Amino acid sequence: MEFGVHHANHYYGHSHVLARYCGLDDAEPPRIHGYLQHGWNIGDGMAPDHEYVPGIAKFVWSERVRRRAWSLGRREVYVVGAPWAYLLALSPEPIDAPKREGTIWYPFHGWEGQHIVGDHNGLIREIRDTETGPVTVCLYWQEFRDKRVRALYERAGFRVISHGYRGGWWKDLDPGFLYRQLAEQRKHSRVASNRLSSAIVYGTLAGCEPAVYGDPMQLEGEKSAFGGQARIVREWGAMHGTSIDLDYARALATAELGADRLLPPAELRRLFQWPAPQDVPDFELTGVIPR
Amino acid sequence: MTTLIGGEMLAWSDLDGSHGPAPAGGDALRSLLPAVSGRTLVAGPHSPQLVAALPTTDVTVLIRGDLDAPAFDTPVLCGSLEKLETLPAYDTVLALDGLGRLHSAEAPPFTWDETLTQLLALLKPDGRLLLGHENLFGVHRLTALPPAPADADWTVPDDHDPARPAGHPRLLARLTAAGLRISRDYAAYPSLTAPTVLLSEEALAAPTVTGALQAAVATALAPTADTLADPVRMATAAFRHDLGAALAPAWVVIAERGTPQPTSTPDAVLDSAPADLAELPQGRTLADHLLAAAQRRDLPALRELLTAWQSGPAAGVPATQIVAAIPTPTGLLPPDTADSVLPDTAPVAPTPASAASSGPAAGSPTGGRVALSPLAPAGEPLQALRAFAAEVIAGGYAHLWPIQADEAELTAVLAGMTGRELEPGEVPASPTPATHSVGDLLADRERLTRELSEARAKHEWYEKMLLHREAELKRVRQMNALLSATVPGKAAAGLVGGLRAGKRAVRSVVRRTRGN
Repeated sequence: MEFGVHHANHYYGHSHVLARYCGLDDAEPPRIHGYLQHGWNIGDGMAPDHEYVPGIAKFVWSERVRRRAWSLGRREVYVVGAPWAYLLALSPEPIDAPKREGTIWYPFHGWEGQHIVGDHNGLIREIRDTETGPVTVCLYWQEFRDKRVRALYERAGFRVISHGYRGGWWKDLDPGFLYRQLAEQRKHSRVASNRLSSAIVYGTLAGCEPAVYGDPMQLEGEKSAFGGQARIVREWGAMHGTSIDLDYARALATAELGADRLLPPAELRRLFQWPAPQDVPDFELTGVIPR
Repeated sequence: MTTLIGGEMLAWSDLDGSHGPAPAGGDALRSLLPAVSGRTLVAGPHSPQLVAALPTTDVTVLIRGDLDAPAFDTPVLCGSLEKLETLPAYDTVLALDGLGRLHSAEAPPFTWDETLTQLLALLKPDGRLLLGHENLFGVHRLTALPPAPADADWTVPDDHDPARPAGHPRLLARLTAAGLRISRDYAAYPSLTAPTVLLSEEALAAPTVTGALQAAVATALAPTADTLADPVRMATAAFRHDLGAALAPAWVVIAERGTPQPTSTPDAVLDSAPADLAELPQGRTLADHLLAAAQRRDLPALRELLTAWQSGPAAGVPATQIVAAIPTPTGLLPPDTADSVLPDTAPVAPTPASAASSGPAAGSPTGGRVALSPLAPAGEPLQALRAFAAEVIAGGYAHLWPIQADEAELTAVLAGMTGRELEPGEVPASPTPATHSVGDLLADRERLTRELSEARAKHEWYEKMLLHREAELKRVRQMNALLSATVPGKAAAGLVGGLRAGKRAVRSVVRRTRGN
């Protein structure tokens, strides 16, 4: 198990985005001295498999998670905001962007080794009954590789994509994950899923109208850590439904992703114990490090 | 002219400070002298400069040690108060040193009440008394280590004694009961005999100038000896709790017999100079705002305040010496501003590194709305920032940051919060503290113990990881050796060798061609 950098810090290219924001080489992001929250979380922000070394910083996305983590006995917790929010700050949507259309739909997935109990066909019916525009289904890489699952959604007339593999243990890391996700979400006017998850919060911040409906597809032997799906529905009830109050959703996404409290690069570098950016004159002008 | 009245102490001086505290004096007390008029008795040790500054010519000084008599140009009565002829002869009695040094060692002990009665017996029916009184529960005593008694302490003022008024309200009540009307009363900092700050009831009741008052008190209380706890931190906390008078080291009261006469003494004396309340900057200190934001965990507000401070002309002024005026009463941002950060407009974010050269204030949503009024001259900005970091650590606010509570490191993070790139090594060294507080030392020990155990845990983890990586490296090397021995491995090695030979051949051809 790794700390500073925990291998999870590189999931989805999170540390790559932050390195770019900090003016560092985003092909080889430096080691973050601390644990970085890597998904929207109803617990203490950290993955359950983390092994903690005392005194090591935990960087979480939102003030709400910080409060919760503190109450759960975590210390050295600091709100930095989500890498997604930094990515959006780095890549504002162009004014002349093509018109958004349709829905990007994320069927809830498990992780490696978790298998979903649920009915894809039932879900497909609900999607068809609800969405009026074209639908893009984004599958987790595991399901995307499964031809049967893919074919199910394709036969329904949906476009089927995957944002890629999140990576792990510094192997098969995918620094392009978030970029692809942002590009796809910005093509769509709605983002939907059968569970409130990172993708919904991301999409909302990226300008999509969110929706959460359909069979939540329980995982086989799913553990209800921090209250699980039942608590999500209870606590974030207003984020569920085929149509959600947009102002509320945006305020929530801003808060949950810490988008209103991003750090200046100098502060982020200091806390991660990252080096100062190279003195590359071109970089000052273009924001691109030549390699 | 010196008159020995009886009870005088030979070879004794209260003025030289060798047997007890120095006499009452200083420019702050000088600001009260407009209240002095007519025939005046200066009772007890007062500095000759103060006596010389009295706005009246008819001055008599009462002292107990014969060595002090030559210091005064005025008539001197040398001896013990109770020996003085009890005639109500004086228009003004000045007892700014309090009632503790009016009797000599020859005199039987008198209570505070008895001493006051003796003093008031000298005052004309319409006379005026200027009286100092040490607060035995003042911040100076609450934070002090047990003192060694001085020669003058053959009896000491004691708060077990019901005859000595304990607390500000009781002092005023006792004077009123003695037939006086109080026209002015001041809380005095940092001590009875050498105050540099005098705050009238009116000043203490003015909520808008609390920052300027706290800044002055902080300067006044800068410790000169080891303490139990930081007196500045305690005094500023006392002000926040509206205890600025209750916990003042001393009080100075101006009271009259008969009809109170208007006095032209100032509402406040700050840094030994009279101050007009209407002209003081309004608001709380910047340090107060910063720590409040830290305690609320309001990082955006903290960043904005730090940036406003460090990017402006007040950057070199300590945060405790700046009054900050901020438009909204509760904080920086009106509650609705957070909602304006919507994805449609792209999140309002601090400038990414690619544009960071445009300046540290860039990206501040309410930039320029914080007005800072410095109350002290500016020094080196990084020293000021470091002093704030030191206060954050010593005051117990450092757990907001997920770093070891090291002054230089925290200073660098604070600089980072303003967008400034700073390595801890570039932070100027702090001056070696001349004094220590026992409480801070204990907290430091506690913190260092924790940090050491954390460092050990980290070390163990690194050790474990190193072993893991070494094993992995060994395995990869073995696999490499094994693969190179196989047929495809040899073929690959041969292929690479062939390619290298080919590259060499091409290069030599190119060279020869160029040579032609």
